Amino acid sequence: MFRFDVYVPKDLRDALEAFKIYGEELVPIAGGTDLLVLYRQGMVRFKALLDLWSLRSELSYVKLEGGLVKIGALTTIDELSSSELLKDKRFAGLRDACKTFASPFIRSVATVGGNVGAAHPLSDIAITLLTYDASVKVRSLEGERVIPLKSFFLDKRKTVKRPDELITEVFFSEPPNNASSAFIKLDRKVGHGMGYVAVGVYAELDGDVIKDVRIAFDSMGRAFPERALMTENALRGMELSERNVDKVVREVLPKEMGRISDYRASAEYRLYLSQVLLKRALLGVGRRVRGE
Amino acid sequence: MSTIPEYYKIVEEVFEKYKDKEFLFVGRHTQRWDSIEKIKGRALFTADFTRLYSNLVYVHSVRTKYAHARIKSIDVSEASKYPGVLRVITAKDIPGINDVGYVIPDQPLIADRKVRYIGDIVALVVAENPLVAREAGELISVEYEPLPVITNPLDVVDLMTLKEKPHTLVHDERGSDILVHYKIRRGDIEKAMREADVKVEGVYKTPFQEHAYMEPEASIAIPEPDGSVTVIASTQCPFDVRKAVAKVLGLTLNKVRIVVPAVGGGFGGKEDVANEVAAKAALAAVLTGRPALAVHTREESIIGHSKRHPMIAWYRHAAKKDGTLVAVEANVVMDGGAYASLGPFVPWRATVHATGPYKVQSARVDVVRVYTNNVYAGAFRGFGNPQVIFAVERQMDLLAEELGMDPVELRLKNILRVGDETVHGQKLTEEHGVGLEEAVMKAVEASNWFELRRRYSEITGPVRKGIGIALFYHGNSIGVEGADYSSVTLIINRDGSVSIRTGLTEFGQGSTWGLALIAAEILGVPPSYFKIENPDTSATPDAGPTVASRATVMGGAATVVAAYKLRKRLNEVASHILGCDPDDVVIRAPDVYCSSDPSRRTRWADVVEQSFWLGVPLQEFGYYRAPRALWDEETGQGAPYITYTFGAIVADVDVDIETGLVKVNKIFTAYDIGKVINRMGAELNAEGGAIQALGYALMEEIIHDKEGRVSNPNLSTYYVPTIKDVPEIIPLWVEAKYRKGPLGAKGFGEPSFNAVAAAIANAVAHAIRANVTELPITPERVYMLLKNKQKT
Amino acid sequence: MSEVGASRASWNTYRDVEVSFKVNGKEVRVRVKPYERLLDVLRNKLGLLSVKEGCGRGECGSCVVIMNGKLIPTCLTLAVRAEGSEILTLEGIAPEGKLHAIQKALLDTYSMQCGFCFPGVIMASKYLLDKNPDPTEDEIRDALDGNICRCGSYLRFIKAVKLASKYIKEGKVFFDESEVLR
Repeated sequence: MFRFDVYVPKDLRDALEAFKIYGEELVPIAGGTDLLVLYRQGMVRFKALLDLWSLRSELSYVKLEGGLVKIGALTTIDELSSSELLKDKRFAGLRDACKTFASPFIRSVATVGGNVGAAHPLSDIAITLLTYDASVKVRSLEGERVIPLKSFFLDKRKTVKRPDELITEVFFSEPPNNASSAFIKLDRKVGHGMGYVAVGVYAELDGDVIKDVRIAFDSMGRAFPERALMTENALRGMELSERNVDKVVREVLPKEMGRISDYRASAEYRLYLSQVLLKRALLGVGRRVRGE
Repeated sequence: MSTIPEYYKIVEEVFEKYKDKEFLFVGRHTQRWDSIEKIKGRALFTADFTRLYSNLVYVHSVRTKYAHARIKSIDVSEASKYPGVLRVITAKDIPGINDVGYVIPDQPLIADRKVRYIGDIVALVVAENPLVAREAGELISVEYEPLPVITNPLDVVDLMTLKEKPHTLVHDERGSDILVHYKIRRGDIEKAMREADVKVEGVYKTPFQEHAYMEPEASIAIPEPDGSVTVIASTQCPFDVRKAVAKVLGLTLNKVRIVVPAVGGGFGGKEDVANEVAAKAALAAVLTGRPALAVHTREESIIGHSKRHPMIAWYRHAAKKDGTLVAVEANVVMDGGAYASLGPFVPWRATVHATGPYKVQSARVDVVRVYTNNVYAGAFRGFGNPQVIFAVERQMDLLAEELGMDPVELRLKNILRVGDETVHGQKLTEEHGVGLEEAVMKAVEASNWFELRRRYSEITGPVRKGIGIALFYHGNSIGVEGADYSSVTLIINRDGSVSIRTGLTEFGQGSTWGLALIAAEILGVPPSYFKIENPDTSATPDAGPTVASRATVMGGAATVVAAYKLRKRLNEVASHILGCDPDDVVIRAPDVYCSSDPSRRTRWADVVEQSFWLGVPLQEFGYYRAPRALWDEETGQGAPYITYTFGAIVADVDVDIETGLVKVNKIFTAYDIGKVINRMGAELNAEGGAIQALGYALMEEIIHDKEGRVSNPNLSTYYVPTIKDVPEIIPLWVEAKYRKGPLGAKGFGEPSFNAVAAAIANAVAHAIRANVTELPITPERVYMLLKNKQKT
Repeated sequence: MSEVGASRASWNTYRDVEVSFKVNGKEVRVRVKPYERLLDVLRNKLGLLSVKEGCGRGECGSCVVIMNGKLIPTCLTLAVRAEGSEILTLEGIAPEGKLHAIQKALLDTYSMQCGFCFPGVIMASKYLLDKNPDPTEDEIRDALDGNICRCGSYLRFIKAVKLASKYIKEGKVFFDESEVLR
């Protein structure tokens, strides 16, 4: 069917009840920039949409509470990037990801929850949130669950979220002052593109030493964003220098990263580019922590 | 014909009269006639007309599941019963002839016997609602017998022998999948190759390029009470659409009317596809008795209309030690996809231009175009020329490298100048206007070529810089492709305002505004007095198709003829009023006066009114037919085009050798387009062509998978340049006037695209010191070139 | 507004939904199908034809309008979302007979080619200038990055936005059509 109905819930409880009653024939829509394209391509069919936009007053926020940065699922990419809370260097990677996210008018309506729920390798916000070791809050009539983002994805466009659950929030621990992040993606043009590969890096430095580092790629071999754990381990405790970064990126990353060839790029180039961009991101984070 | 047609004499007389004059309107920046309505968003494009029809029906094209298959049966019964569906149309419902081929009748509107590419239509669903039509389309069941899918043109023909290989024929009814084979045979190639001091050879590849005009294809057909049909169509060629619709419906030409509103981009892509879209809409309108809309989604547009021909070419150049080109050999294979479209002509233009704008003593060129199961290829700005220019200009750089010569020096040694013979034996004279050398010098000077060529070669480090040059020539209008004529009707209305009626269309390039400027200049009336009527096969004269960079040079010539005759009559009337000689009359509307005694004056409005009362007609039909082109099928010798536009492009690039990403910093474009008529249009065309060619050079390619399906049928996976990709573009002008052209003008629609990609390729090759042989130059290709260089 | 708890049978009737909002300063009330896009409603029900469909997927910028102060893609916006909103399209950016500074600037820089992308470009430019009255070239490129112009007037857009910014700073926001450079 190419026609569908739309249900506009009064509040979150209303929305969750609708799920319970109508099950999988009812699909939630946030910004719609991913879902409506999938629908257009015939990749997803539904009898009705649950319009989450009416829940914006409840679910769009960026706040600091109890040492946690909490971002409502319906926060738009625009709101995320212009949030006062996220203005300092500790969140630079999130702002990088917002800046290269699609185009200005998509950023007005695409949401954080939508990007996470899309579970697509090139979910830029999800990649960055992985580097913050974020967690996802989902809610159903049964209650609330908290799932670490690194365990959230099962496969391309598949998550552990049940069909009767809604993503309400992502959160992560407030980073310390000696931390920063970066996000880089590269495509065959200067202007916006999906990216052949995308990498997010978060690092905490103690002087020049990498106290902690978290790296996430669009894909490590499976069709969803994942952390590069081996590479992280190799870097922890090392001095953040060009030589060290070069060595680890060259020797360790290929051990844990698998890449595929498709019509856009070959596996070989994707792996190579992953190394180049990771190196640039790491060194870039170093400069940001030092305030350069 | 023993006498020279009057229109030739008029155009040449007008050229002589104006050649040293200072122009009032021609060559200046002027505001287009339609810019206010477009800036307000009021201009109506085809799909905007749906609002006028309350009982509109929607046509949905159901397309094949396979790129190559026989159709055994089709069952539309379920779809026909679907609520909201009025009709399901299959091949057997076509009242006329089931064909929309632009040049040859090889392209069914609705597939009957077999499907040949992924966009082929198997049925049309006509419904009250577009989504209902789509839903019903899913209920149509077709029994296919899949056939092997051919996606590689070298599976059809061998590159070196050009012999056809055994394969499952795409066009079995033709007995062969080679559509055409064009040749140049000049001089003694064997001897030249033997005696040459230096030879370079290579294989060059270019991809399918998608037009990606912002307005998708659309047509609205309205059944008229007398059994005829009117179609509002987004097209470049209304008279060809009329012919196609009449053919499909089995009507006479005068029972089909095609009207062209604002068109959102064409670039050659709307030359032939409108035949299909208008025919679909017309068929639905006639069979349901209601106005019908056929509009393509972006994905349908990409998989369902013509593309730029991909090319695989082997070239060998031979030269003397001093850089004189002695011989060029080339085997060129063009992938035409599933249907002919403009395929009989594209490889012809490629053949004519296959050796570049140079003197070549001996040449052997063979160009073939083959059918495959890819999306069909047709016309796209440049029409075969950009492809061969890429190969030729890379070869010239390789030759320069081999000879230890600067690329510009090598080219200057060989370029065509006045008095030289082209590779077809056409002698170029002052009459043609040959401004290539001046263009080269301008581009070289503006870009600081010699210093940067040297300085960039010395750069090391992660970001390299390169500067490259490419030259081209581009035959104006259609050469031997058909009868080359154009026509324009000029009407001075009784209040002094002027209407222009012509079948030439406007889809961004604004060349019809150039016609207004020519008429304005000759009549002495400001451009703001002019309105250009929408092309309408029932009301505007057949001016030939708006293709081949011909609108200004051919339509302009027709305009000159009409304006000249009107001016003569106006001068007579004014001289009657003012009492001075007709040749003495100066028209500077709103004023008209005698040049010898300006106190004798009257007003434009009065002259027009007097003409009415004196019975002097103020409408005139201007017709112009181009001098005959000559071409020998066996040798490629003759005079293929009436004249040539020339150009030199210099590109300045940065290459990040770590990622392979190329960033273009500047593009210097020096064009000889004869007399610049519409300066604003020329500048925009130069900028726009360079940007589109930058896409061709760096990012654009339509990819088919091995099942013949398009892998990237949308604008996020098919990359077109955005505002962030655009470099500084510096247009430079050379006016080597074409004496037989309107006020000396030459064509420019395609030339603005032709050599930019080659210049960028040459710049990248300079930067990375590796041989670039394939477009687009994606970061991965740069990476591979650098990696392979390291190995050797 | 559709109700939760309505019977399943109602799902196949695609009943009309009444949506009220403000467009270009005027209150409107339209009946829309739940699956209709804001693009379709603005064009077909309200006659605002400046809003164009170039791709239907949010990839070209032809369909953008300003809704509740945000630049949005109408091809990816459900019509029911317009409820209670304020929408501005090209038709409403200047009073009748006048041109907005960005429109005048685009004409004064002779940037017009086919014109199909212009409504989207104008809305994106206005959106930028409203938030950032004195943008740098990079900021202009960032703001217009989502608007594809295949005819290639991009360099002129940059000049025009800068010129419009100058006009606005001089206090000239609206112009007569007659002031356009001919």
